[in-house]
Amino acid sequence: MTTNSNFLTRNRGILIFFVVMLLAPFLIGLLEGSSPAVVLANEGGLSKFLEGLGIEIFILAIFALSFDLLFGITGLLSFGHAMFFAVAAYLTGIALKTLQLPFWQVTLLVLLAAIVQALLFSIVLPRVKGITFTLVSLGLASVFHIIVMSSDMINLTGADVGLQGVPTPAFINPASERFRFYVIALIFLVATYIFYRRFVASPTGRVCVAIRENEDRAKMLGYSTTTFKVVAMIISSITASIAGMLHALYQPIISPTVADLGFTVTALLIVLIGGVGTLSGAIVGAFGFRLLDFTLRRFLGESASFVTGSVYVIFVLFVPYGIIGTLRLEKLSTRAGWKELFSRIRGNA
Amino acid sequence: MTARETIIETQNLSKHFGGLAAVDDVSIKIETGTLHAIIGPNGAGKTTFFNLLSGNLKPTTGKVFYKGQDITGKPIYRMIHMGIGRSFQITNIFPNLTVHENIRLASQAMEDKNFRFLMDTTKMQTVEERTAIVIEKVGLSRQADIPARVLPHGDQRKLELGIILAPDPELLLLDEPTAGMATDQVPELITLIQEVQQSDDKTVILVEHNMNVVMKVSDRITVMHQGKILAEGTPAEIAANHEVQTAYLGGLYDLNT
Repeated sequence: MTTNSNFLTRNRGILIFFVVMLLAPFLIGLLEGSSPAVVLANEGGLSKFLEGLGIEIFILAIFALSFDLLFGITGLLSFGHAMFFAVAAYLTGIALKTLQLPFWQVTLLVLLAAIVQALLFSIVLPRVKGITFTLVSLGLASVFHIIVMSSDMINLTGADVGLQGVPTPAFINPASERFRFYVIALIFLVATYIFYRRFVASPTGRVCVAIRENEDRAKMLGYSTTTFKVVAMIISSITASIAGMLHALYQPIISPTVADLGFTVTALLIVLIGGVGTLSGAIVGAFGFRLLDFTLRRFLGESASFVTGSVYVIFVLFVPYGIIGTLRLEKLSTRAGWKELFSRIRGNA
Repeated sequence: MTARETIIETQNLSKHFGGLAAVDDVSIKIETGTLHAIIGPNGAGKTTFFNLLSGNLKPTTGKVFYKGQDITGKPIYRMIHMGIGRSFQITNIFPNLTVHENIRLASQAMEDKNFRFLMDTTKMQTVEERTAIVIEKVGLSRQADIPARVLPHGDQRKLELGIILAPDPELLLLDEPTAGMATDQVPELITLIQEVQQSDDKTVILVEHNMNVVMKVSDRITVMHQGKILAEGTPAEIAANHEVQTAYLGGLYDLNT
């Protein structure tokens, strides 16, 4: 971290990623024999399909980044993280479909809901720590999951069937404007990543790391640690909400599975694959997670989840630092990695 | 002795853990600019007393005054901003962060820019300068960029001291700063503490077991025994005190050796 490095050199990796991802649809288009103009007009077959897969990965990566900010950077393991994503997704769906609000009002509403939820979690933050916080957060999110699934709410949420027929504004319609949606999702991912990197290098972010390492000591240093945790929580919930909103706009059905524990575990898995607390690991992990899932499902059908599950267990056992985490190590000590993982999960309470 | 201002004062301070009175009705006044040692056998309540002073524990009864202001029950993160720094008997640092980052975080706490979440910390010049000075002072310049956990124990004690020196507190509460250090490293750390105290006219309250150290460096000594104050005075007075001799010093320390 030198002071004289400029924006381009500091963010070289993510900017290369941005350019490659931007060009990828055209390259794939050329491979299947369609010109860039065809890709831009969203008429390419394979390129359009892969753009769709890319959008899903970008949304997952944004969600996983927001999870890593809490878990990997600040040391808060929330099992209710999916709630941030799901509330935004359902709110977007209901506001567009039932309330028929203009798009900017929907966005405002989603942001507001993100802050309210973060503050809701913040009520319990100073009172519970470590694994207790994890369970309380799970309880909070379960309440939301039950509400979404309840038959009384069927007209609004679609209950267990999911929320269908959300009218996406024409300018980002994922069917007719797939490439534009792809670029928007990509920009959100890259912007989130750059913002998070800056945050971690900022005074606020450094204190968040200190809280993860030794909260009592951070308090003794003179930091009101709860305030810092609330700040991290708000930033994380807004990010997860952006992902949730993109999800609602992209998917034809908002399934209630995005509100349950399994979806939080998805974020946890992605971060574990990529490397806890590395940020870039969230992006690498999202690619790994979605592509593995996609490939195995293609060949094995429904039984794929058994194989993917086994792959993750073996992966975490032997590569506890994750992909990016391991690359940053000088030498890999699996045992030390497990210890670190356990201490992170247990928290420093 | 000229009358000096009282920096910290306790009034009838007690802390009960169930039926045990770990600290029992302790009233003490400590003058600005002195090096005050608290001694006593294990279980005398020294660390509990420290925890009450530093706000880590809330007293059952009694009050703590800092510069005449009642600070009983103030949140712990306010203490350093008032000028009270505290070190721990068991090393309490950020083991996975570098030595530099440990000290930098301690310096940064005194800034009012902690919520600028888009600012680059390396651009906080006063913090960086302060960090460099403190690292130099505690003699860890060569180890600045290694994680604190790989430091040998003695160096971790120095780091612990550095962490509380960084925010430049007026009152330093040092709970056995030399605990577990190799004997040959002790004088170095003690000299450092004396230097800090004398050059910046700080007040140091020290819990220490090493009697040679205590007798040599302290301006005043308080002896605690079973949660109460047994005696208070200059090192010479304490060494001559018959009660202290029988309760604690007997056989352990003899002025003539």
